[in-house]
Amino acid sequence: MQNTLSQPKPGESYLLWLIKIVSGVLILPVLIIHFLVNHLLAPNGLLSHAEVVAYYRNYPIVPIMEGFFLVFVVAHSLIGSRSIILDLRPSPALLKVLDYLFIALGLFATAYGIWLLFAVINFGL
Amino acid sequence: METPKKPNTRGILDWFDPRGRNVGGWGFIINRLSAIGLTVYLYLHLYMLGKLAQGPEAFDAFIETAKQPAIMFGEMLVIIAGLYHGLNGLRIALNSFGIAVPAQRQLLYGVVGLTLIGTVVFGVRMLTTH
Repeated sequence: MQNTLSQPKPGESYLLWLIKIVSGVLILPVLIIHFLVNHLLAPNGLLSHAEVVAYYRNYPIVPIMEGFFLVFVVAHSLIGSRSIILDLRPSPALLKVLDYLFIALGLFATAYGIWLLFAVINFGL
Repeated sequence: METPKKPNTRGILDWFDPRGRNVGGWGFIINRLSAIGLTVYLYLHLYMLGKLAQGPEAFDAFIETAKQPAIMFGEMLVIIAGLYHGLNGLRIALNSFGIAVPAQRQLLYGVVGLTLIGTVVFGVRMLTTH
């Protein structure tokens, strides 16, 4: 096993590599809180629509935390996917197209997730 | 990002080549496979949570479906992938910042051990709750 420092691979900027590492580290505490509040502390484990809506309304910190979780996990997954694709040695032109696709997917997923959080909080109002 | 020992000449196919593979190489491959699985799950999860916006009938029916053994088995795979990828990611992050670099092999064994323990804990809880 190599005892060398991890570093960006060819085609991956230092900034993207750093965001991938930092977002990955940030996901962990938020994921642990996500599991605790949604599946251990929440009454009945939030297994019905009414429980989810009531929980989100009564504890505003929960949807706020979920929003941060969404941003971290979307960024990490898409930069990580790009990193995997770099293993296939895509041409610079193809990589540019994929970059635009990843940015579009990331923006869409984040916007959809944030909209969904508000939709749950405001459901039936 | 940690790289395999051998130069990668065949793209993804190289991940499944056991020849000359060391412990770190296997750790790298499992990290990649768990990453792909978790990415697919993330967007599926986001899509399924869209049922919340459709109302109680849609979401509650989805929850009933999710209690089937096949879905629970899939959830268990997500737990295993999440535990391994998260813990191994911490190891890589430490390595990236020059921390505990000589202890990478021991840390990887620790990652696998904690993943196994966490899997048993989650599995028992899942089976006793549902």
